Amino acid sequence: MLPAQQDVLNIVQAKFLAAEVVKTIHLNVSVVDGPLENDNRILTLVEYNKSFALFVLVSSRIQPISFSDLSIESVIPLDQNFSFETEPVSGQNYVILIIRYKQNKYEFKIEIGKESCNFAAEIIHAKEVSLTGASNFTWLEKYFGTMNQANRNSETSISDQSDFVLIREGMAQGQASINRESMLKYQMKLREPEFTQKQEFTIFVGTWNVNGQPPSASLKSWLSVDEKPPDLYAIGFQEIDLSKEAFIFNDTPREAEWQKCVMDGIHPNAKYRLVALARLVGMQLAVMVNNQHYQYVKNVSFDTVGTGLLGKMGNKGGVAVRLELHNTSLCFVNCHLAAHVEEYERRNQDYKDINARVNFRKNPQAIKDHEQIYWLGDLNYRITDLTNTQVKTLLQRNEINTLLRADQLSQQRERGNVLLDYSEGDITFQPTYKFDLHSDIYDTSEKARPPAWTDRILWRGKGIHQISYRSHMDLKISDHKPVSALFKSEISVIDQTKFRKVHEDLLKKMDKHENEFLPQVMIDQTEVVFDLVKFREPQARYIIIANTGVVPAEFEFIKKLDEASYCKDWLGILPFCGSINPGEKCDVKLEVNLETDLESIYDILVLHLKGGKDMFITVTGNCQKSCFTQSLSSLVRIRVPIMQSNPQQYNLARNNQSPILYSVPRELWLLVDHLYRHGLKTRDLFESSALHEELIRIRDWMDFGSQDPLPGTPQAVAETFVLFLSYIKEPIIPFELQDVCVAAASNFQNCRQLLIQKLNDIHRTAFIYICMFLQELLKHSNDNGYDAKTLASLFGDILLRDSIRNAKPQASRGKANFMYNFLVNDLSALLIPK
Amino acid sequence: MSTGPYNYSYIFKYIIIGDMGVGKSCLLHQFTEKKFMADCPHTIGVEFGTRIIEVSGQKIKLQIWDTAGQERFRAVTRSYYRGAAGALMVYDITRRSTYNHLSSWLTDTRNLTNPSTVIFLIGNKCDLEGQRDVTYEEASKFAEENGLLFVEASAKTGDNVEEAFLETAKKIYQSIQDGRLDLNAAESGVQHKPSQPGRNNLSNDQQANKDNCAC
Ligand SMILES: Nc1nc2c(ncn2[C@@H]2O[C@H](COP(=O)(O)OP(=O)(O)OP(=O)(O)O)[C@@H](O)[C@H]2O)c(=O)[nH]1
Ligand SMILES: [Mg+2]
Repeated sequence: MLPAQQDVLNIVQAKFLAAEVVKTIHLNVSVVDGPLENDNRILTLVEYNKSFALFVLVSSRIQPISFSDLSIESVIPLDQNFSFETEPVSGQNYVILIIRYKQNKYEFKIEIGKESCNFAAEIIHAKEVSLTGASNFTWLEKYFGTMNQANRNSETSISDQSDFVLIREGMAQGQASINRESMLKYQMKLREPEFTQKQEFTIFVGTWNVNGQPPSASLKSWLSVDEKPPDLYAIGFQEIDLSKEAFIFNDTPREAEWQKCVMDGIHPNAKYRLVALARLVGMQLAVMVNNQHYQYVKNVSFDTVGTGLLGKMGNKGGVAVRLELHNTSLCFVNCHLAAHVEEYERRNQDYKDINARVNFRKNPQAIKDHEQIYWLGDLNYRITDLTNTQVKTLLQRNEINTLLRADQLSQQRERGNVLLDYSEGDITFQPTYKFDLHSDIYDTSEKARPPAWTDRILWRGKGIHQISYRSHMDLKISDHKPVSALFKSEISVIDQTKFRKVHEDLLKKMDKHENEFLPQVMIDQTEVVFDLVKFREPQARYIIIANTGVVPAEFEFIKKLDEASYCKDWLGILPFCGSINPGEKCDVKLEVNLETDLESIYDILVLHLKGGKDMFITVTGNCQKSCFTQSLSSLVRIRVPIMQSNPQQYNLARNNQSPILYSVPRELWLLVDHLYRHGLKTRDLFESSALHEELIRIRDWMDFGSQDPLPGTPQAVAETFVLFLSYIKEPIIPFELQDVCVAAASNFQNCRQLLIQKLNDIHRTAFIYICMFLQELLKHSNDNGYDAKTLASLFGDILLRDSIRNAKPQASRGKANFMYNFLVNDLSALLIPK
Repeated sequence: MSTGPYNYSYIFKYIIIGDMGVGKSCLLHQFTEKKFMADCPHTIGVEFGTRIIEVSGQKIKLQIWDTAGQERFRAVTRSYYRGAAGALMVYDITRRSTYNHLSSWLTDTRNLTNPSTVIFLIGNKCDLEGQRDVTYEEASKFAEENGLLFVEASAKTGDNVEEAFLETAKKIYQSIQDGRLDLNAAESGVQHKPSQPGRNNLSNDQQANKDNCAC
């Protein structure tokens, strides 16, 4: 392995649990036909306890530096549904790697080289190991939940959605994406021997190419020759209709005619019920089951595949029926493969196409994934290398075995070109093709085709024993003779009591898993205590959320019942939601910033894990009093700086129970006085923002009192002045008066009237006091650059501030107009003589 | 039921409430894990557990919320009562104060859940017979007067734990069968998660109707 690759491998490994070993990776893989062809995929083969899976990771960087750069795009278990192949692209130095999993197909472009060769070898090896043992893929469940939403395929959809839900709340994120049902099914299959026993069923399989002839004879001599009635029939026909109409419209009256004939011809000593009837043009397949077993047949499905003209028309191809009998999956395939002696490769191809294209849209979906497969039909393989005369001579001498050596199907099977892994019983009957109609005489026409065993029955799967394999010479209406095979097949029958036990046991286990797969986190503290909290002096605490579970934990601070937000307005939480991978941590900053008048802060935060528990974090702290958040009416009642006032005085003042001592609060006076003396000529007085420490010094100077002069530049004091007016408990023009004020804005007398009649003395005096100061400022317009309009709009928003901070200043204009009156008119008459 | 043979058909939400230290978390743990936790830390928040049970051949998934018992969390844990189909109200038979507080827990439950919510009273720690502070008869009378199901149980030995959870489910199931529990109303139990809009509401409704016809 190249050094760079080893580094990346270590990073990739960090994405998984320690027991989930990253065996090998392939870097710089790009997705074929993706919206953007970028080579940032990493194919990763991971092993856990002898079961393997391929992960497609997307790296947010070309070369990932940390595992957080990686996200999981797809998870593909290396089970029996997994297959892959490579397709060279001529003249290119890369190949297309095609991975199939069930109906999904993934195509990747990878560079040809040592890395790709090694990677392919590893996958082949892994698949072999995966298939030999009883691999358990439950460990993958947790990753389905982490896959990028967009790339989730339909199979991992939420099974719970179909449930009837009384109270649907808090499903674990990890488990929501697990298809519980398929998971259980899978686990049940693994433990099948514990709750099933084998029972032998007789299965009768028949095939006949009827050469387009209408049914005109009883089929008893074919379907009802055995002593006992079989449990199940699978009867296939080919060429039931050779008309153009049947070919083009895939519709023929012959279907019903032949089916009736079949029902009339099957064993009279039992009643049968049709399970499925599938037809494509002339190919027809019917499955009937003895009535007594009907209730044990489940999940019936069929599909048809045409491989004829243009490789898709239905004159050739296959029809297939699948079903489950008790607990065993059965598949029957009736095919009619390409004709002509020399076309055996075409026949091989037809066989492959049928396998590749049949899709039952049920689990399992492909022919090959069934436990028992019965393959029948006019396979059309001929006898090669022998002349017609030679064949006939051998037949006369009854040297069937010699003849069979020239049978194309046997030859092709031996070479592994077709029906690999299938078995066929010994052929003891004569070739079933081609006869002169209504006779037992082989083709005497000009073409004089040599006889052949075109009509065959094969099988694949465990526990299948063939009892007989024969042709039925009595039926002469076609140029083929029908063939049949009788099987004794082991079907696993469920013992209901044992089934229940295992089922229950598994449910319990899965349940336990569910609890294990709940997101779990630890937080380092559930009580956060802040130091003394001061006005507009932010203070931060950090809590650490550590994911101690096995699934990613999505956390979020949530609001409590009847609350507007997940935390009080004095607190900021960052981040207030997020996702933490197993083994990882997340620091969450809790920052308190006090802007209101509180003695102490207290709140219980609810930290919610999506699909899991909630944790409570208690936040507490004591607050320092400040003049900034008081009301004008209390401030005018406090003689000394607020921190010097004793609690009793302070409380009386707060409740407006002590006498008024000042006409304007001393704090306001101090600020205005300072600005009056030092700031009238300062350019852009209100527009520069001061240092945070400077503001805090001024705040403390005002709150605690001092012999020293007011610290800070005129701009800092001006900002403090604005802050003071902005945070005062009630704006100078109280909320409820603002609308009328704005409405009266066009007329100074009306505004004046309002002030006198509606505004209380304390607020009116403060308002006039501020306006007179602003008028003083305007006298120095040349120096400070302010005009009445600017100041009006600046202070309109402050003295008539909105009840909700940072609300859209819709009424700003009206407020400015109102203010403007008081900046350009004489105010002396408004002052109340005291 | 439209669900497959492997799926549960119902989800019942339970809450476990009661004073701190009475053994709520231990009961939950015993029920889901069949284990006893000798030194279980105080629950600071709401723990979540799940298990699938069967009642009258119906698979039922229990979603159990184990709340913090400390008084200071009372205001917050009240958010979790809504939409509970079952409430397990626990006291400690060795501490009378936990029994005395039951009426306050009961008031909360009655106020915050719907009338069909099944309330099951559990006198926990019945393995500590020697330290008994509340008699069986007394509690049983209280339960009867208030129309509550009642058992004494032990999260330590597992005695009656399974029974309490299952009996509650049976009772809820019965209410559904009798039509006493209006599924559509129960579904309106407010989700306390702001991030989860009622995505499932529609399907709940349809499913509910289906079920009503079926039984
Ligand atoms: N002997 C005995 N001890 C028990 C039993 N149940 C719980 N305890 C003990 O009682 C203590 C408190 O149990 P918890 O389950 O944590 O109590 P809780 O009701 O969840 O308490 P909070 O989470 O604070 O509300 C623990 O130390 C347990 O070991 C029981 O049945 N018998
Ligand atoms: Mg607890």
